[in-house]
Amino acid sequence: MTPVPLLSVRDLRVRHQSSGFGIAKTTVAVDGVSFDIGRGDTFALVGESGCGKTTTARAVLRLIDVSGGTMRYDGDDLLAMRGETLRRHRKRMQIVFQDPFTSLNPRHTVGAIVGEGLIVHELARGSEVNARVAQLLQEVGLEPADATRRPAELSGGQRQRVAIARALAVDPEFLVLDEAVSALDVTTQAQVLALIARLRDARGLTCLFIAHNLAVVQQVATAVAVMYRGRIVEQGPTAALFETPAHPYTRAMLDAVPVSDPRDRRERTPLAGDPDAGGSLPPGCAFFPRCPHLAKDDACLAAVPDLHELADGHLVACTKAAAPSL
Amino acid sequence: MTPLLSVENLRVTYAGRDADRIAVDDISFTVEPGEIVALVGESGSGKTATGLAIMGILSPNARVAPGGAIRFEGRDLLATPEKELRDLRGRRISMVFQEPAAALNPVMRVGDQVAEVALVHGERDRHAARSRAVEMLVRVGLADAERQYRSYPHELSGGMRQRVMLAIALLLKPALVIADEPTSALDVTVQAQVLSLLLDLQRESQTAVLFITHDLGVVAETCSRALVMRAGAIVEAASVDDLFHAPKHPYTRDLLAAMPRIVSSR
Repeated sequence: MTPVPLLSVRDLRVRHQSSGFGIAKTTVAVDGVSFDIGRGDTFALVGESGCGKTTTARAVLRLIDVSGGTMRYDGDDLLAMRGETLRRHRKRMQIVFQDPFTSLNPRHTVGAIVGEGLIVHELARGSEVNARVAQLLQEVGLEPADATRRPAELSGGQRQRVAIARALAVDPEFLVLDEAVSALDVTTQAQVLALIARLRDARGLTCLFIAHNLAVVQQVATAVAVMYRGRIVEQGPTAALFETPAHPYTRAMLDAVPVSDPRDRRERTPLAGDPDAGGSLPPGCAFFPRCPHLAKDDACLAAVPDLHELADGHLVACTKAAAPSL
Repeated sequence: MTPLLSVENLRVTYAGRDADRIAVDDISFTVEPGEIVALVGESGSGKTATGLAIMGILSPNARVAPGGAIRFEGRDLLATPEKELRDLRGRRISMVFQEPAAALNPVMRVGDQVAEVALVHGERDRHAARSRAVEMLVRVGLADAERQYRSYPHELSGGMRQRVMLAIALLLKPALVIADEPTSALDVTVQAQVLSLLLDLQRESQTAVLFITHDLGVVAETCSRALVMRAGAIVEAASVDDLFHAPKHPYTRDLLAAMPRIVSSR
């Protein structure tokens, strides 16, 4: 029997309303997304700008309104939570944002930033707060003395450590990492990734890891879902997705990662088109206009392809996934 | 053969509130005609300041220390009057920036921004300039170039805007392009498109490229030589093959070890 997942999302839908020059516009940001995250697992949502990965994360955290679907957290209906119940729930799920230059209040000291959650959720008072902050800073590789500094005095990597300490302050069990290492330099990125993996294992955290780069998630994720235009086009255990990618978009994303050795250079045919090009989607498969698959035909446009199982837990939303592509 | 570009003992300092900050600390290197050289480093390593110094467009609070030289096609750019530099920029040497949204003029049609390069450098006939611009837009992959000529930058995607930047930089087939993280702000599949386009254009026009980047994958993919910068200094200069297979400086090894890569057991 498979254990009950900690987070279970079914058919999640989110629409954004915008208005420019008085013309109301509705954009479908997330269009029927489903996934489960087991306790202690790290689930990666990968995709390019505008694919809906961040919107999905915000919906999971109840930071934005959803227009459809269900979400259960540890058996409870996440969308039914209101007021005090929701407020108490918030300390179980925390987030680390991409840009530590904008996500930390520049006027607050590191101590105030990390300690705020402790005070709001009444987890510590008086001198306990400072003691907890000191512990947290050490846990993320900073010095207790850094509590008196302000974000401007810190490097990007140090700021991201502060953001992680702030998220951990309320002792959450679920952590959303929204491009948490994307803005960092490579050497810092590797250090912060290692820190995240260490903290996850030590604290038994469950993680939702949002990234635009497949190379970054391979090391940390237990399972990966690739999103395109608001939908998951492929998902599966990390090894399956990297070893036997089935969706043409997943293959193109893997192919687009630069080589790591100049001797591996090869002629490549980059995928045409833009992920962030606006405009209306064709009926059927949203990837159709960019799809390089040789077997693509009118059948792809007949209906939006459903995710179907290729192997144990490996799902793909492409009707031609089994057909030879080259 | 004399190098196309020869940077000798370049030092750049930025005036600070208390003390001057050294951004580039006595670096020397050369770029041969037609080659692609990577200038690799992390934030604050001085790689962008080096590029801006070569272009002569450092911010007013920056200063190039006396004693250095930037020789390009036989003349020292540091000793060249601004009027002559203006004639070189866009014609013999040009630059592509990381954020095309910030580098393009938001209230000018993108086609006119391409045509402007020809007009500034001696083209008298507006129609001729326009048709050269359209031709170049087609070359960089704007499918419907006649229509997209009339677009404003905000109407284009990030990848399209960077294609326009390449059109501007390469219209007059300059001898040297300084490309400062030209693909870093783009999505991965678009990054692959723009890189491949940059290489095609480079091959066609035999332009040398100084490729400023933090991404060793991009270096492995495109460059023949690399200069690794850290804290204003070049810590290693090597052929790309040596850099990846026999890195000498510990910092280069750290960078290589930290590089995100897809591990395949296939």
